[in-house]
Amino acid sequence: MIIIIAIAVVLVLIIIGIYNSLIRKKNDAENAFASIDAMLKKRYDLIPNLVSTVKEYMKHESSILYEITQMRTKAIEGGLSGDDRVNLDNKISKQMAGIMVAVENYPDLKANQNFLQLQASWNEIEEQISAARRTFNAAITAYNNAVETFPSNLIANSMGYKRKQLFEIPETERQNMNAKDLFNS
Amino acid sequence: MNEEYEVSFRKYYDNQLLPDLKILDKQRIKVGRRVAMIGLLTAIVILLEAKFIPLQKNEWMWFIQLGTAIIGFVIISIVSKGYRKSFKEKIISKIVLYFDESLTYQPEGAISKSDFLDSNIFQHRCDVYKGEDYVQGKIGKTAIEFSEVKAQYRQTSSSGSGSKSNYVTYFKGLFFIADFNKHFSTRTVVLPDFSEKTFGKIGQKFQSLNFTRGKLIKLENPEFEKEFVVYGDDQVEARYILSPSFMERILNFKRKWNSKVYLSFHNSKVYVAIWMKNNLFETRLFKSILEYSFIKKNAQYIWLLIGIVNDLNLNTRIWSKQ
Repeated sequence: MIIIIAIAVVLVLIIIGIYNSLIRKKNDAENAFASIDAMLKKRYDLIPNLVSTVKEYMKHESSILYEITQMRTKAIEGGLSGDDRVNLDNKISKQMAGIMVAVENYPDLKANQNFLQLQASWNEIEEQISAARRTFNAAITAYNNAVETFPSNLIANSMGYKRKQLFEIPETERQNMNAKDLFNS
Repeated sequence: MNEEYEVSFRKYYDNQLLPDLKILDKQRIKVGRRVAMIGLLTAIVILLEAKFIPLQKNEWMWFIQLGTAIIGFVIISIVSKGYRKSFKEKIISKIVLYFDESLTYQPEGAISKSDFLDSNIFQHRCDVYKGEDYVQGKIGKTAIEFSEVKAQYRQTSSSGSGSKSNYVTYFKGLFFIADFNKHFSTRTVVLPDFSEKTFGKIGQKFQSLNFTRGKLIKLENPEFEKEFVVYGDDQVEARYILSPSFMERILNFKRKWNSKVYLSFHNSKVYVAIWMKNNLFETRLFKSILEYSFIKKNAQYIWLLIGIVNDLNLNTRIWSKQ
């Protein structure tokens, strides 16, 4: 009898442990997503400064600059679904990368101290966003492993936990964009 | 050293180092003779002691002999001190200058104990801290300093009646500090991986149970994960420092040294500790120091150490930290 009770107690403890660790992993994943968000906000704050500095010099790219400003407004307004937001962010990244390359054609701009500082901040925030995404993916992988492997999958199923999608990291970021090569080439 | 360095260093050796080396080598021969003489004398005295000192208790004999040997060693080190010192002052300091004029070399200086402890790479209590061969300067935009370091803690083991204590060396090697090229505010350490390498997935579980460190940071580079274990206060910032290309750089760096390598990121600096069995930048007594290969070996280490700046890409200042 005692043995049966002991086994039952141990089982319950194991189940509680698994249950808690699942919840912890889900929270980690949500938390990691929030940190991407925080980084993205930092980037949105930077865009108006960059655009206004660059605008004076870049006459040919004014339509792209306008587009970036529009997209930024749309992004901070909110109300977008998860996928739409990701797409919008990717678009902003791509357009900004294009602007940073186009800077090559404007020697005056390249010598502008204010711009150089903004550019450095931009590189920094891009890499921070990339770090936040990688953190998110690590958290999601831990969560997915728990949801799909035995025995925690049994409990995850009964809690209605499903596999979550990883962040697609764009190829350029995976190579860890080396802005120095980009600008000094 | 790569070929380009090799050729120009050879020239430097011929023109700048050889004159001094020749003078020093004469000193070496003189000192070497004296040392050999003292060694011989000490050995003879030890033999005579065994023969002629009458003792009731034979156990005391080894004590007297050991004492004699120690006295012999002390005299030898006093006799050769000047020679060893001038090798460092005249030759090593010139080799250091060859790589960069901004570098300064202090034979008896060392990385400060507080910097060593600040790195938080080793968590032992530091009871004995010694160091020498300190180099400081700036490579490009990056301020660096490094030295040899030896750190020990005292271990007391009580067995029956009394307790015995001995000193355990937990680090001996090169300690390197450089200004890091990114801003960060938390602490991240990269340590050689023992448990995951040996026990695989279960080992990883143990790693996450390490309470004296920060959180376990699992990174996406499998090769890196096999070699190192990373702990940090902040998951995102640790990954900000350890970008994919930076992980590759650390891996290559480790292969280059082929030794146990530890890194720590803290106070906007990177701390690197490299285990070394040998004592570096020392002269020798019973073999000519004029040999190019001997001097080159010393230069090689300095070249490798300064090369850390390039290995870790520290002069790339594309982020807001200038």
